[in-house]
Amino acid sequence: MRGYAARRLLVALALIWVVVTFVFLAIHLVPGDPAELLLSQGGVAPDPGAVAELRQKLGLDRPILARYVEYVAGILHGDLGVSLRDEHSVADEIRLRLPRTLELIGVAAVLALVFGLPAGTWAALRAGGHADRALSVLSGIFLSVPVFVLGTIAILVFAQKLRWVSAGGFVAFERDPLQHLMLLAMPAGTIAVGLSAIVFRMTRSSVLEVLGRDYVRAAQAKGLTPRRIVLHHVVRTALIPVVTVLALHLGSLLGGTVLVEFVFNWPGLSGYLVSAVEARDYPEVIGIVLVISVLFVLLNLLVDLLYAVLDPRVRHG
Amino acid sequence: MARRAMSRLLVPAAIVGAIIAVALTVSLLPLPDPVKMSVATRLAPPGLAHPLGLDEYGRDVLSRILWGARASLSVAFLAAAVAGVIGTILGLLGGYLRGLVEIVTVRSAEAVLCFPPLLLALLVVTLMGPGAATLIVALSILYAPGYARVAYAQTLAVSALDYVVAQEALGARPGRILLRTILPNVAPPLLVQFSLTVAAAMVLESGLSFLGLGVVPPAPSWGLMIRGARSTMEQAPLLLLWPCLALTGTIVALNVLCDRLRDVLDPRAGTASAGFLGRGIARILPGVVDPATRPALLDVRGLTIEIATSDGSFRPVRDVSLSVAPGETLALVGESGSGKTLTGLAVLGLLPTGIRATKGRILFTGRDGRTRDLACLPEPALRQLRGDEIAMVFQDPGTSLNPVHRVLDQVAETIRAHRPATGPDAVAQAVGLLKEVGLPDPDRRGRSFPFELSGGQRQRAMIASAVANGPRMLIADEPTTALDVTIQAQILDLFARLRGRGSDTGLVFITHNLAVVAEIADRVAVMYAGEIVEEGPVGAVFGEPRHPYTAALIASVPDGREGRLESIAGTVPPPHAELPGCRFAPRCGLAAPECSAEAPPLRDIAPSRASRCLHWRDVA
Repeated sequence: MRGYAARRLLVALALIWVVVTFVFLAIHLVPGDPAELLLSQGGVAPDPGAVAELRQKLGLDRPILARYVEYVAGILHGDLGVSLRDEHSVADEIRLRLPRTLELIGVAAVLALVFGLPAGTWAALRAGGHADRALSVLSGIFLSVPVFVLGTIAILVFAQKLRWVSAGGFVAFERDPLQHLMLLAMPAGTIAVGLSAIVFRMTRSSVLEVLGRDYVRAAQAKGLTPRRIVLHHVVRTALIPVVTVLALHLGSLLGGTVLVEFVFNWPGLSGYLVSAVEARDYPEVIGIVLVISVLFVLLNLLVDLLYAVLDPRVRHG
Repeated sequence: MARRAMSRLLVPAAIVGAIIAVALTVSLLPLPDPVKMSVATRLAPPGLAHPLGLDEYGRDVLSRILWGARASLSVAFLAAAVAGVIGTILGLLGGYLRGLVEIVTVRSAEAVLCFPPLLLALLVVTLMGPGAATLIVALSILYAPGYARVAYAQTLAVSALDYVVAQEALGARPGRILLRTILPNVAPPLLVQFSLTVAAAMVLESGLSFLGLGVVPPAPSWGLMIRGARSTMEQAPLLLLWPCLALTGTIVALNVLCDRLRDVLDPRAGTASAGFLGRGIARILPGVVDPATRPALLDVRGLTIEIATSDGSFRPVRDVSLSVAPGETLALVGESGSGKTLTGLAVLGLLPTGIRATKGRILFTGRDGRTRDLACLPEPALRQLRGDEIAMVFQDPGTSLNPVHRVLDQVAETIRAHRPATGPDAVAQAVGLLKEVGLPDPDRRGRSFPFELSGGQRQRAMIASAVANGPRMLIADEPTTALDVTIQAQILDLFARLRGRGSDTGLVFITHNLAVVAEIADRVAVMYAGEIVEEGPVGAVFGEPRHPYTAALIASVPDGREGRLESIAGTVPPPHAELPGCRFAPRCGLAAPECSAEAPPLRDIAPSRASRCLHWRDVA
């Protein structure tokens, strides 16, 4: 088990390194000079002298290999560099924005579990019935609505017509907790709709599969109540694949909240990434991608640990 | 089943077909120019000339929606196709050639899957600049690994099959095998993958266009239209609604098509059952029993079990009658598929959904001396009997124990289901039971998870759980079949020991092993193709079989002496075959014309002996 974990960690570190290198190279080898982009405001071609000066100032005139080595060395010291645009520390900006994105994803995941798990179990127990069919149709629609469509419609209905909340924005929790939660509700809810449909479907099929297992029949043969069979024998085992799938989806939400952050004007990490890519601000881009990759890998390790908690075969095997 | 799935495919296929047709023919339709602006009439409401009105630049909305279908669909289809070709080739090669090729193709493709998809698309788009061509490249990179994975898994499965191996043995070239043999076989899941990808690509394309990173304005695209309509949401909310509806509707149609397609191509996935809780609903009538027919302990009379399928129903168990007295062991013998397990499950009311006992009675006399008909007892009452008065030991202890709970808890849980015991009390009792069934070191071993025990130890635990509440009736369904031969003997000893305590527990021992029957049973009932063909005391039946099937069974058992081992000619009739006469007649040496004329009943031929054969006197 320990050797396995160590191997996993090594693979994960290698993967992160590959990602950083790939992004570093991609952003440098593709046409579009950051210095030129920075200076060309309003469509006017910049003065070549100014560009050369800026390139020198930013260190862009040095060989790419030197910059790469320097950059990797910086990362190892926890330094992600400074933004080309405004010379802000990239690490500081990420530290400011990452919690907002994580909060969005976390709240959405909790909402998805709260609705998806019971609904999925319930539908599986009544498989083929009217309620099951209705829920399946509903989840199909939830899965199909693109998140930005849902978000835009939500703004139209809740902000424009009903005027329950404002259309978007962000207020720090410390400043006004209530307002913070009000503004969080719509973006988190929008993500949760699709996510809960995924949880619902996974739970339903997983519970259905477990219901057909021999040990469920054996539990029935013991004369246990349906309630105990479902809670103790079915849901417990059925949870394992659900947790895995949900965690994988949460991983893809890191950086995948771009659309929601855009629609609701939520100043998270994803929006930061989009603007960084547009400006070819490569310290920012690599910094964000690095952080997302690390989180992604950590999440996968966490899934494995959770797996071990839920499934003794993994824990003791 | 297949036909129903096909007809369910029709509606979504027609809708998707119609959308594609519109996208293809939109240039031929008499529509206003979708990019022609007319600022003077911007946001004009719907009218005759413009059925859906004009947008914020005075462009015709209907025209833009229909043209937008072309933009969205062409990007999605092209991307899905390009990704499909690349991914399939990678997957086929990786799955067929394995080794280094597998690492280069499949594993590297999977590395792409480690990336959040939108993030990757964003990177590609911003590095290459927005536009439809970039979108196709980005989406192809994103979705090729999905195909590669599916093609790889399928290729692995198919290339191990006999006909592929046979072709290799015949010297066919790998390229030919890949294209002519493997590709057609991996095609169905790839088709499903294709339709999934089209839907996903549409979502991503519209999302990127919405961000302003996809299709370049002023070309009409649904994502762009939603982006544009956001700014005028207050004055013209309908403007927002139309592209949202078009986009969502198309994706819903595509997703439904996917689901249905999967049902057609993979019939296992779509079968809906009547539901786990539905089982008890049919049992509303409480058991009403005629006092004149008072049975011993268990008395099954004329039990018939039906399986309903979409092609009609058939009866895997018909007119089965058997009885067990207190303290008696009845062996139920037959080949697999003869209906003996279903009979056992029917007694506990645990028939799988879709299978019902349609006729007959299952009379059981409980501890309180009352006789109930289990075939029509309500589920709650039946549940109280299960695990308490009637218990069952299943064939495979490896799958009948829940893998995520400790063995001890699973035994204790049976006790607590029926007795008011506290947790520690029940666990203490469970340890005692485990000791009784011969689990070594029960205190410690009991705290193991099932996978940590051997097969024999697991079966001991199952038996401990079954006898936990001192049942009146124990049904053991092939309890030794899944075990090693040496362990089988130990488990049989355990049953003999549990029986030999002078208990009056009745035991039904279901098996196909005649040697086991001779060792453990008092009486034996032989089943063939869903019917009991002969019944009687073990010694008498084995010594003087009175049905040709029993005789043939006994002759087919190796007895250690010289001589040829006999097998029974012919095959068991399939359960759905309705034969007019004796079901064994087609294989029987004694068969005469009258055997096939009418189904013979099970008749008493001597005290406590019964046979279904018309010519039982002639059976040697």
